[in-house]
Amino acid sequence: MNKYAHATLRLVASAGFLAAVAAQSADLPNLLRPPADAWLTYHGEYDGQRHSKLTEIKPENVGRLEQAWRFETGQNQAIKASPILVDGILYLTTPDNLWAIDARTGKQLWHYRHPLNNAFHIGHRGAAVYQDTVYLTTPDCHLIAFNRLDGTVKWDVVIANSDKGYWSSNAPLIVGNHVLVGVSGDFDNVPGQLKSIDADSGKTQWIFYSTPPAGTKDSASGGATGGQMWTTGTYDPELNLVFVGTGNPTPVLNGAARPGDNPWTCSIVALNPDTGKLVWGFQVSPHDTHDWDANEVPVLADAVFSGETRKLLMQASRNGYFFVLDRTNGKSLLTAPFATVNWAKGIDSLGRPIPDPAKVPARDGVLVAPNEAGATNFRPPSFDPKTGFLIVSAQDGYGIYFFKPEHGGYGWAGADYNLAGKSYLRAIDYRTGKIAWEHALGDGAGTAGVLTTESGLTISGDNRVNVMALRTSDGATLWHQAIGKVQNAPITYQLGGKQVLIVAGGESLYAFTLP
Amino acid sequence: MSLGAKRTICLLGSMLLAVSWIPAQGTNTSGQGNVSGSGARIRRDPNQSPAALPRPKTSTPQTYSAAQVQAGELRFAAQCAFCHGRDATGGESGPDLTRSELVAQDMRGDKIRPLLRTGRVDAGMPKFDLADAELDAMVAFIHAQMEKLAVLKGGKRSVEPSDLRTGNAADGRAYFNGIGGCAACHSATGDLAGIASRYQGFALLRRMLFPSGRPEPSLPKATFTLASGETVVVPLVAEDEFTVTVLDPMGSRQTYSRDAVNVKIDNPISAHFTQLGKYNDAAMHNVFAYLDTLK
Repeated sequence: MNKYAHATLRLVASAGFLAAVAAQSADLPNLLRPPADAWLTYHGEYDGQRHSKLTEIKPENVGRLEQAWRFETGQNQAIKASPILVDGILYLTTPDNLWAIDARTGKQLWHYRHPLNNAFHIGHRGAAVYQDTVYLTTPDCHLIAFNRLDGTVKWDVVIANSDKGYWSSNAPLIVGNHVLVGVSGDFDNVPGQLKSIDADSGKTQWIFYSTPPAGTKDSASGGATGGQMWTTGTYDPELNLVFVGTGNPTPVLNGAARPGDNPWTCSIVALNPDTGKLVWGFQVSPHDTHDWDANEVPVLADAVFSGETRKLLMQASRNGYFFVLDRTNGKSLLTAPFATVNWAKGIDSLGRPIPDPAKVPARDGVLVAPNEAGATNFRPPSFDPKTGFLIVSAQDGYGIYFFKPEHGGYGWAGADYNLAGKSYLRAIDYRTGKIAWEHALGDGAGTAGVLTTESGLTISGDNRVNVMALRTSDGATLWHQAIGKVQNAPITYQLGGKQVLIVAGGESLYAFTLP
Repeated sequence: MSLGAKRTICLLGSMLLAVSWIPAQGTNTSGQGNVSGSGARIRRDPNQSPAALPRPKTSTPQTYSAAQVQAGELRFAAQCAFCHGRDATGGESGPDLTRSELVAQDMRGDKIRPLLRTGRVDAGMPKFDLADAELDAMVAFIHAQMEKLAVLKGGKRSVEPSDLRTGNAADGRAYFNGIGGCAACHSATGDLAGIASRYQGFALLRRMLFPSGRPEPSLPKATFTLASGETVVVPLVAEDEFTVTVLDPMGSRQTYSRDAVNVKIDNPISAHFTQLGKYNDAAMHNVFAYLDTLK
């Protein structure tokens, strides 16, 4: 028995069962053009829209949804991951844990538990699948490849040094044979890195640094470290570009220690997945001093903008602004606030907010909107092509930020406190940046991601215990169920002739179907 | 008639008999007493930011094995450190535990363990369903850190009362009584008399901006209108789009579907949220300077 023997093996799916649902396999053609009934990647599709083509569940019947099964992790870590469905098997993660679950019954097929380690266990976003392999990042920065049918470990590589302050919660993005994995690290002055790992061998193909690696001479970042890429990016196969959001600079609140704009922190970067080379970058928060990662999903759509069909990239960012870019070149098309903001003096000629020096953390405190939790955060939005709404879980919040030289220049280097906030699901019209409707979610910051469907439904959770189905056109509530606090993004797929809605409440995963 | 509706009528009937009792439940008037964890009541002066207080000392010296401390460090790093820092001196959102009164008063986990088990969900701290040995190890590590850091001064997240003294009290008073609108609910000689003796430094500023923490601010009021036209007012403990949860006259929680009742919520704290959008930093510091004179 190897050291992974505590991965419990219960069942290997039968060959006949696999053949029946082979249309949902995670091979290259399917990843590029996923069938309507599948959910093969973290975002469902490379464009990050989280918009399902399925229409069986619709406004007229969503009120009749019933629970089909419930899977309990038996742990006290909330589920924050989007599961993946491949060939009738769901892959679900929490920190240190990966489950394979029979999507027809909700029963566990196998479970892997990573050895106890001292890295942060604050959440985990999900697994990734390619052909017969499922990939898992761990808090202590391993990337482990498993045979996805029986959970046996194929290889296990270290992607960053967790002793230096890195940890990982990342759902990898797979493009070709590249497994792109990011890490986190805000409490130490460490460079931001995204690694491409060979899907078959586990060997490192390239590393993209958003801030210069230790020992290199590069004046561009102004001495900033950080800019971690801890969320899952998106991909345009025609341009062969991967789009990833980068995190805040470190030291976090002490901006004086790192003069200038600090590229490529708080940015959207476009990378060539074969080489890891930067093709363009767009900084949504130049010289951030408020911990506002720009890690929110860069959502892709080919849509009409100012009378012309264009390749668009949209991000509702943690700093409170909604950005529309031309993703062929990273040029700004629109910048508009979607939540309460008071930290910018205006928008510069490149479409970037201009930080107001009066709102930089100070000894006696400055009142800043949004607060550190942000106008949004890791919870993914959804784009509904029919209405043109990017639907995002937004927060109007206020925080107070302090910095004095005694706080130093390492890690957090300052003090800040969230004061209060109110959350809303907001439908942003991508053509204007205007809010078409909003739906109150409660006090504090939201935690649930968003799913839209072609039938005109928006699925998400409120800030207490409810999963809700809203009408995408106006945000009206059509259905709700108390299941525990929703902290993941719902997904949907079709299996056994029925559309299934999958959403987590607390530590349990629920499947809902029509009767 | 739904079950929920029946319960409502029954409960509201009994509420009417106990109306005189209701306001007392909504107000925690104990200026003293930092309620910490379940059943642990620490007698201490003002509700302070731990970072702004002198570092408390462990009240009862206690020793733990090195192995226990080490096991606790591992657990702490994985489960607690994102918010409380790897060294327990504060992280992304949680306070410095090495300056915590609760930790100082804790004896071998008698206060820390119940808190870990229940969490402080409203404050963003989850509950931890851990084995006894794991809880003991965490307790050992937290105490070890408090001992270790007792010799250090300052702190990476510190906000000292002297840092905050940049405002003008006279201007703050004018704002308070004028365009700030604070005087609509508050009075320097009434509810705020002596406020600066009860809270200092950042604790006072934070409470001024958005009251939270302990003692808890008054609960919002839920006003039920019965079919007869009579109204019953009770403290609200939670609400969402679909339900309201209130304290009944016996002090226990009751949840009603909004469909089944006619209820209106009045939350005086919401004026503070509106005010956060109106302050500029100078006005904030001025009002703070004014409140700081109300000793």
